[in-house]
Amino acid sequence: MSDAVTTAQIADEMYNLVKEYSGKKRFKSSDLTKEIIGKHGDKVNKKDCKAALRELMDSGRCVYGYAGGSFIALPGEEGAAKSQ
Amino acid sequence: MANHKLRKTPLLDDLQKGPWPSFVKDMKQIAVRKPMVNDLLGQLELSYKERVGHWKHGGLVGVIGYGGGVIGRYSDAPEQFPDVAHFHTIRVNQPSGWFYTSQALRDLCDIWEAHGSGMTNMHGSTGDCVFLGTTSEELEPIFAKLTEKDWDLGGSGSDVRTPSCCNGMARCEYACYDTMDVCYNITMEYQDELHRPAFPYKWKFKFSGCPNDCVASIARSDLSVIGTWRDDIRIDQAAVKAYADAGMDIRADVTRKCPTACMRYDGKEIHVNNKQCNRCMHCINAMPKALRPGKDTGATILIGGKAPIIEGALLSSVLVPFMKMDKADDYQEFKDLMERIWDFWDDHGVNRERIGECIERVGLGNFLEAIEVDPKPEHVKHPRTNPYIFYEEYFEDDGTDA
Amino acid sequence: MATQPSAPRKTDIGPPHYEQFLHPVIKKNYGQWKYHDYLKPGVMVHVAESGDKIYSVRVGSPRLISVDVIRMFADLADKYCDGYLRFTSRNNVELMTDKEKNIDPLIKDIQAQGYPVGGTGNSISNIIHTQGWVHCHSAATDVSGLVKATMDELYEYFVDMKLPYKLKLAAACCLNMCGAVHCSDIAILGIHRRPPKIKDEQVSRVCEIPTTVSSCPTAAIRPTTVEGKQTVKVDDDRCMFCANCYTVCPAMPIADALNDGISLWVGGKVSNARSEPMFTKLAVPFLPNNPPRWPEVTDAIKKIVEAYAGDAHNYERLGEWIERIGWPKFFDMTGFEFTKYHIDDFRHAAETFARSAQIKF
Ligand code: HEM
Ligand code: HEM
Ligand code: HEM
Ligand code: HEM
Ligand code: SF4
Ligand code: SF4
Ligand code: SF4
Ligand code: SF4
Repeated sequence: MSDAVTTAQIADEMYNLVKEYSGKKRFKSSDLTKEIIGKHGDKVNKKDCKAALRELMDSGRCVYGYAGGSFIALPGEEGAAKSQ
Repeated sequence: MANHKLRKTPLLDDLQKGPWPSFVKDMKQIAVRKPMVNDLLGQLELSYKERVGHWKHGGLVGVIGYGGGVIGRYSDAPEQFPDVAHFHTIRVNQPSGWFYTSQALRDLCDIWEAHGSGMTNMHGSTGDCVFLGTTSEELEPIFAKLTEKDWDLGGSGSDVRTPSCCNGMARCEYACYDTMDVCYNITMEYQDELHRPAFPYKWKFKFSGCPNDCVASIARSDLSVIGTWRDDIRIDQAAVKAYADAGMDIRADVTRKCPTACMRYDGKEIHVNNKQCNRCMHCINAMPKALRPGKDTGATILIGGKAPIIEGALLSSVLVPFMKMDKADDYQEFKDLMERIWDFWDDHGVNRERIGECIERVGLGNFLEAIEVDPKPEHVKHPRTNPYIFYEEYFEDDGTDA
Repeated sequence: MATQPSAPRKTDIGPPHYEQFLHPVIKKNYGQWKYHDYLKPGVMVHVAESGDKIYSVRVGSPRLISVDVIRMFADLADKYCDGYLRFTSRNNVELMTDKEKNIDPLIKDIQAQGYPVGGTGNSISNIIHTQGWVHCHSAATDVSGLVKATMDELYEYFVDMKLPYKLKLAAACCLNMCGAVHCSDIAILGIHRRPPKIKDEQVSRVCEIPTTVSSCPTAAIRPTTVEGKQTVKVDDDRCMFCANCYTVCPAMPIADALNDGISLWVGGKVSNARSEPMFTKLAVPFLPNNPPRWPEVTDAIKKIVEAYAGDAHNYERLGEWIERIGWPKFFDMTGFEFTKYHIDDFRHAAETFARSAQIKF
């Protein structure tokens, strides 16, 4: 496909989503995948999203958080030092 | 050598007495060189005194790129116990069957001595080798040293948890498939699912070689694989005689205890109606020298086991009555089944809902249909008793299907 | 937070392949074992089709062990077992050798280190357990201490094989039951008994309110506003103290020294032998948290073990024994009081009511 969406582009879009909704909504990997597929239709599939997620996490721009279930967050956003 | 003051622990000290090995004695010895363990003892003593715990959960800690394997833990009394203010856990993926060499264990000990508290769980309930207590700064160095020695982290969070298995063919004549190989193979196949949580909730695999289920897979895993056989129990009648000669009451202890009443002892030999045997293992357990599982072996696949939270405890229930678990085929039949299940779970699962709960919600019949498994009488204890059937099809008056 | 790595990182390599950890005799006879036997408590021999033998010596361990203890076991493995050893699913250590003459000196060395040999066959093996106050945030009790205190009392059953059949114990420090407690012969379970206390001023800051509300299995949690701040409230009558909410919302602590304690459950099993796997059922709804030795708990456990040991048939697991004699007899024999808490009132409770006139008098 000529208008294929690159992995890097998906990763960027995912990052933007996490950033935009930071503190408002917690995205799980599958939520981000659904958002991306919803946006690009059949130009992307689950595998592309998986590769993009891996790139995003390996880059350190996002990290995994845990609150009853795993979700994707910005580094240092919450947790650790956040005392009760 | 210690420049920290050793904590006084009068309540815990009582647990140094008695015949069973004492974790308190062990911790007190290591506390001399590890301030972290000293404060762990101090905080535990406070818990014993106040009868309440002092840990906080949560926090974002981990190694880069992974969403599992490290668990953040913080003291809720850091002023009092500064050396356990941060006390994270690391899960190291154990080898299949928990076999080690002394050298491998020493490698792990050296890493943990250098970068953590020196306390461990051998092993955690999921199966991992658990390192208890370190700080965020140590995580990357530990990870680098572990991988250098060919170790990797296990799972935590909403991912594939570290699979585990019984010692199977390595040291048990009952093993009906190669549990250790399947466990290794599946762990390697799903490294991404293990390290990068993408599921609605946790997913546990456990592999037992026979219906004795030594790793409690039916109770502790979402996907339980339990070895079984389809042909006849192998009988060595000479060995049966040897048991009788040695004084065993074969009728009382073996044949009459057969739950399906499918076996008989005529005073000389044991006879089994294998069509009625439900592979419970009782007779084989009682007479391991005389009776053995058959040779056409494989596994029963069950799904949905879990502890009580949230919707109540479930044991796994039958999904595939018999699967060959074929090594030559790289277990492809099993992996194809997983793909179909996870696709379904991806689409229908909700956050913090285990697959067993998900199946209960959508109905086992609908689930089977979605993952392309034919419904069979083996799936149920008995057919339904309630008549409220949600028929999806009926004939229209003009004779067409609705 | 994680620091940047210097060298290229190795990831997703998985655990080391198990084959390098197998004793040569095990490797040679892999999948070719013929039968096994118990030579004495704690010592098994597995015999292969080839005639080769491997001896395994099983050693009780507290599970919570330091690197010093692991190194001690590694030394023993070097001295007697060509450097090979393993851990079991119940957290015992197994030292394996093909040399029968090594067994007795090995056992002597193990015992000299203060570790017991046993846990095979018709014994009480090690108690599966969770983290407790040593390391978990939701713990209602300390299982490391409970296990130590209980095993001190039941020691004779670990080092011998004198029970009617296997007896498996487990302990968990909260309803989460990380250790398959719901399927053991006897389960020791830490419990909370008071609904979470809500720190209203923190809820909106540290918790996501919709997630918190939906975390409650009984729908006891509602959003509310206190002094202009968004928070939650709990309907006390609906709370069954599962701590689920506390997991997703740290501003709802549930631990409470006054009310936390221990319950005892009996008759579960995972093995398919004879009867199907079963869940544990409630024997004692509440015993006090009484560290460091929990005498009320260990006394009650001993009562159960002794009743079972005296009355069960060979090969009968605790749950099968109770089903044969009936629950009323079980309460008779142990002297435990039967209360309204023993009668289920959660979902599907009616399935547990007796629905026949078959009653023993
Ligand atoms: C929500 C947060 C939870 C966390 C962080 C958590 C964490 C853990 C951990 C760390 C273990 C032991 C792993 C090990 O020792 O290596 C474990 C085991 C276990 N957990 Fe959880 N758990 C959670 C919730 C639950 C829930 C909700 C259930 C039940 C539905 C559950 C059921 C179990 C069971 C049955 C085991 C032990 C059996 C096994 O190892 O498969 N846990 N969990
Ligand atoms: C060749 C025979 C067998 C071998 C090599 C074997 C091996 C093991 C091992 C090493 C363990 C961990 C035990 C421990 O640390 O105490 C275990 C646990 C267990 N075994 Fe076996 N076993 C055998 C036969 C049986 C039989 C005959 C039964 C049942 C009738 C059985 C049922 C179990 C169960 C239920 C567990 C405990 C699982 C748990 O609660 O975690 N096994 N087995
Ligand atoms: C559409 C659903 C049902 C229909 C049409 C139906 C119909 C009937 C009829 C016609 C009778 C005989 C009444 C009589 O002889 O006086 C009866 C009796 C009975 N039904 Fe149902 N029934 C239904 C569902 C159920 C269900 C779901 C249950 C229980 C789970 C149930 C339990 C009984 C019982 C216990 C009796 C009394 C039997 C006896 O006295 O011998 N029924 N039902
Ligand atoms: C944000 C929420 C949570 C986080 C981050 C979390 C984290 C952890 C971690 C890191 C461990 C490993 C413990 C260790 O080895 O010390 C653990 C263990 C465990 N957690 Fe949680 N947890 C959470 C919520 C819960 C909740 C709500 C429960 C139960 C109500 C729970 C039950 C357990 C259990 C049972 C274990 C297992 C201990 C074992 O290894 O035997 N966790 N949790
Ligand atoms: S589950 Fe069966 S095959 Fe595996 S160790 Fe236990 S008895 Fe042996
Ligand atoms: S395995 Fe169980 S059901 Fe089959 S013959 Fe033996 S005792 Fe009977
Ligand atoms: S049983 Fe409960 S308190 Fe104990 S370790 Fe598991 S989650 Fe923590
Ligand atoms: S403890 Fe459990 S039942 Fe009670 S409010 Fe919290 S989640 Fe609901």
